[in-house]
Amino acid sequence: MRKWFARLATLGVALLVAGQGTTAALAQDPAAGKKTVRVGATQSMDSMNPFLAVRLVSTSIHRWMYGYLTVPDSKTLQPSPDLAESWTTSEDGLTWTFKIRAAKWSDGKPVTAEDAAWTFNKMMTDEAAKTANGPAVENFESVTASGQDLTIKLKAPQASMLENPVPIMPKHVWESVTDMANYDAEKYPTVSSGPYIAVEHKKDQHVKLQANPNYWRGKPKIDELQVVFYDNPQAAIAGLKNGDIDLIGRLQPPEFEAIQNDPNIEAWNTQGRRAAYLQINHGATTTDDKPVGDGHPALKDLKVRQALHYAIDKQKLVTEVQNGLAKPADGSIVPPMYKDFFWEATGDTKVTYDPAKANKILDDAGYKKGSDGVRTMPDGSRKLEFRFTIHTDTPIEDKLAEYLTGFFKEIGITLTTVKLDSSKFSEETGVTGNFDIAISGWSVNPDPEEVMATHLCSRRPAPGGEGGGTESFFCDETFEKLYQEQLKELDRPKRAEILKQMQERLYTQAPIIAIYYPNDLEGYRKDRITSITPIPEDKGLLYGGSSYWPFYTVDAKATAASGGASGGGSNTGLIAGIAGGVVAVGLVVFLATRRRKSTADERE
Amino acid sequence: MTAPLEAAEPAVQAAGPGDERPTRRGTLQYALSKAGGALFSIAMVIVGTFFVFRLLPGDPVRNLAQGRNMTPAQLDLERRRLGLDQPMIDQFFDFVGKTLRLDLGISYEYKRPVLDLIGERLGPTLLLAGTGLVIAVSLGIWQGTRAGWRHGSRFDRFSTGASLVLWSVPTFWLGLLLMMVFGVGIGPIPGLFPFRGIESVDAPDGFAYILDVASHMVLPCLTLVAVVYAQYLLVMRSSLLEEVSQDYVTVARAKGLRDDEVRRRHAVPNALLPTVTLVFMRIGFVVGGAVTVETIYTWPGLGQLFYEAVRVPDFTLMQGTFLLITVAVVVMNTLADVVYHMLDPRVRSA
Amino acid sequence: MTSPAAARRRLALSRFWADFRTHRGGMAGLVTLVVAVALALVAPLFISADVTSVVSGTGERWAPPSLSEPFGTDESGRSILLMVWWGSRTSLLIGFLAALLSVVIGLVVGVAAGHFRGWLGGALMRVTDWFLVLPSLVTALVLAAILGGSTFTIIMAIGITTWPATARLIRAQTLAVEARPYIERSKALGAGHWHITTRHVLPNVAPLLLASTTLEVASAIVTESTLAFLGASANKTSWGTMLRASYDFGAATQGAWWYILIPGLAILAVVMAFTLVGRALEAVLNPRLRRAA
Repeated sequence: MRKWFARLATLGVALLVAGQGTTAALAQDPAAGKKTVRVGATQSMDSMNPFLAVRLVSTSIHRWMYGYLTVPDSKTLQPSPDLAESWTTSEDGLTWTFKIRAAKWSDGKPVTAEDAAWTFNKMMTDEAAKTANGPAVENFESVTASGQDLTIKLKAPQASMLENPVPIMPKHVWESVTDMANYDAEKYPTVSSGPYIAVEHKKDQHVKLQANPNYWRGKPKIDELQVVFYDNPQAAIAGLKNGDIDLIGRLQPPEFEAIQNDPNIEAWNTQGRRAAYLQINHGATTTDDKPVGDGHPALKDLKVRQALHYAIDKQKLVTEVQNGLAKPADGSIVPPMYKDFFWEATGDTKVTYDPAKANKILDDAGYKKGSDGVRTMPDGSRKLEFRFTIHTDTPIEDKLAEYLTGFFKEIGITLTTVKLDSSKFSEETGVTGNFDIAISGWSVNPDPEEVMATHLCSRRPAPGGEGGGTESFFCDETFEKLYQEQLKELDRPKRAEILKQMQERLYTQAPIIAIYYPNDLEGYRKDRITSITPIPEDKGLLYGGSSYWPFYTVDAKATAASGGASGGGSNTGLIAGIAGGVVAVGLVVFLATRRRKSTADERE
Repeated sequence: MTAPLEAAEPAVQAAGPGDERPTRRGTLQYALSKAGGALFSIAMVIVGTFFVFRLLPGDPVRNLAQGRNMTPAQLDLERRRLGLDQPMIDQFFDFVGKTLRLDLGISYEYKRPVLDLIGERLGPTLLLAGTGLVIAVSLGIWQGTRAGWRHGSRFDRFSTGASLVLWSVPTFWLGLLLMMVFGVGIGPIPGLFPFRGIESVDAPDGFAYILDVASHMVLPCLTLVAVVYAQYLLVMRSSLLEEVSQDYVTVARAKGLRDDEVRRRHAVPNALLPTVTLVFMRIGFVVGGAVTVETIYTWPGLGQLFYEAVRVPDFTLMQGTFLLITVAVVVMNTLADVVYHMLDPRVRSA
Repeated sequence: MTSPAAARRRLALSRFWADFRTHRGGMAGLVTLVVAVALALVAPLFISADVTSVVSGTGERWAPPSLSEPFGTDESGRSILLMVWWGSRTSLLIGFLAALLSVVIGLVVGVAAGHFRGWLGGALMRVTDWFLVLPSLVTALVLAAILGGSTFTIIMAIGITTWPATARLIRAQTLAVEARPYIERSKALGAGHWHITTRHVLPNVAPLLLASTTLEVASAIVTESTLAFLGASANKTSWGTMLRASYDFGAATQGAWWYILIPGLAILAVVMAFTLVGRALEAVLNPRLRRAA
């Protein structure tokens, strides 16, 4: 018995040594001298076709690959030239003319206005091409091209014209695609006009991008950008610590804490572009103003909603739920990183944590406490018992629910938690209205028009349950009027002022209550990445910014002649030993059976 | 990790010399009747799948859209594409017809045919589950034989105990522990094996590529083997124990055959049958293990695809992968039944 | 001393107990189980659901095991020891209820398939075989995904996917019992289906059922934890959801090994105890196995 194990062990060691030898010889690293940056992602790509892709990782990668009409400026986030080098607007704001830059596609063909016109016209005429960015062309009347001039005629004025999120596609390559709904665009190398060209995509494993030598701003500093997918977020963090990847974004607070003290890792903690808020069913209706759902009647009362707002200790939520890595929300849905558009409550409008005041509001409004400490409706018909709808499998929301339950108990309101999976969740909180209070959040783009639009009357579900996309079932005359005004206002400061008034309206009417703005948490390896510029450049975001800028400006150390020095898990030297291990395992069985025969005689 | 251990043992009896087995029927006839049964099972799977997936609450198109903002025109298009404007009975026949033509629909999340997606993921799963199964079966049979033959020995007690422990461990937990210890590394010990994916991002060519993939396989394979091999060991051990007390073994010994030869020539071949059957019977169990293991180690296989479909949720994809996995398991079971029938003379002439 | 039958049963029981006691593993498992179940039952006398509350958990976050916190604390400063204790209630409850459901379905189908030969028995066996081959974890995941992950659906999903093994076992036993001559006599005396199945078959299959249930509970606990880990469960604190939380909150990268190890070891201990008891029961009850073991 023991002898047998000893032999096996010897064999294992021998194999390991042998293995090391073989691969050391084989390890003529082809990547030597190249500058490569590996970005980790805990989501894999849904589609390489920009007309279809909706996952964040896909749209980010497409932003690195393709040009747009305009992009947010790296300093101010204001629209700045990309493929459109200049533009003019007609008096009535209905006709926009863009001058397309004399740039080249990665295959050497010139970029013309025809490409842009084809892209938009495709989206306007083919329903399938609307999947990813449909609303962006909804307001387009016609798009025409002549030479380098692109003319877009609108149905109604639209100030956010310069924030168009549609990547311009090469007409000469994409023209031949007939069935857009089923086109996977897995052709490499891709024809792009952005800083990178995709050269390889292994499903659910990785995407490789190479620097585009024809990029009009100049070739990126690194040679290759790789996006590596992890199903298991813990493995991704471990991968960063091991040096398997160089950068990872969109971290949760606990993940961020895990990399915070690593000497090789730069922990990136800046203001984020997300707002987390509570959605309150203040009387959900459909577009024909008929009530839907089973929301609690007390929530229709603005006083109750305000009392709830006063009862929430936002600072405590930030400290306990977000581990301090967020900013308590004293504003509405636009986070403070967008300095131009951010609105913050001051003076009398500002709601601060004050349970006594909340109690007083409810007392004055006639919601009396019963013997069990729970308030009832003024007519005594119903207790103030609300449901709080959250997603299954999101532990942070579980925590939040517990704290809110505690806060509301202080003011005589009972909160019970309802957990729904994501599809059911969006159905009940966005269409059927079967909820009282729900958790929600939105990642805001540099132009807040889209997030504002989610609170319009027209976004409520149609009577048949179609359309929709409302974040609150809000339908408020003042808000609607302001929205229409900002659409027409082409003067940026004036428009920002209107957008701020809209936020104030949301704050005071409280169809939603913003609770905090989570920070943008990322991490990258200092020993690999030598420089990277965030967007905006002053304390901005990296991967979380969904912009080409950080990855265009990134610079890294060139790969050394042989694998990563810091014990890179997947690198050469180790592979050998590992393979030896596998073979050893396989041989255990083989050997076991063999030994039977050879030692048959020496056994009892 | 869902089948009860007891099922491992009695299931073999059930599949083995069963009471309802037809007497003196030809193997071909038997195979045909089994194939008929399998076809019936597959039909049931298809019908069952159709109805289970229609149990979903709410509007299927909206479920698919996951709350994304879609224009009414887009919703309509989607509805027509899925044939949801048809009456239920038409939908049913349409579904059956398409399934028989291997048209499993288009994944909403990936916008590509489900069959294509499955095709891409099949290879890695077969590689992982196949290798894992071969190692688990060989190891289980070898260790089970040894333990059963020298019943009550230290080796027996050790391996029975170890397999009971492994049996009781949740797969994902073991996977995470192995990842922490051998992948990430603990304290001063560095990680030994890669723990993400099937190959390095900059994978080398040729022989080195094989080594690269092999190294990526170590941890997932180890996890899978650890969890499934226990049952093979236990069944092999107990069926060998049963053979040992049979008369023919005593006779063989009385003839003066060497202990080793009695075991190799007489006892083991007979005891092997239930174990081999179990391997096929419990293929669904390996599949379940693969879902967990592939998810932990980002292995680009069917299990991962299925899990992703569940998480999104992408019901077309979920339906397609579920159908395929189930049909594969039914086919394997039927094969096991027929092979068993052919191999075991006791069953054939009972 | 009421009737000879009762006396006979008591004798059988004491013989069974004497047999069972010889199985050391089974006894160890039984002791573990009794302790675990007793602890779960008395938990409300000492602690309440507050131990799982992040609001009242005031301890230090990620504290390693110490004298005051023998199993350390989690990401919110809650005591792992108390959470494992409280979580045992959910884990065991789901284990028992799912096993019960599975065994009840298995018993009814098994006895019916064994008792009614003809087409009914055949059809029932077909259905059983069909369910037997369904990959149970995959099916349970699909069911949980479609019906939502409440405690009730998790129990349903586990119960529905695991009963066929019990059904087969019970059917075989039923066939064996009904082949005995006294059933023939009973029939001749005019006993109906109900009388035969409840008075003669049931008492005879009951012991095997016990063994089968024990093993079902073990597998149900593991399945629950797996479903929770895969995120299909919306349960209150159980061992599975604790492990899921340790994963979500990055216990591994925080180096909080106790958060991962303790709930896992709890599952391991209880599942193993059930398995040992089940195996010992089987060995005692099944003469075929008894001879072998």
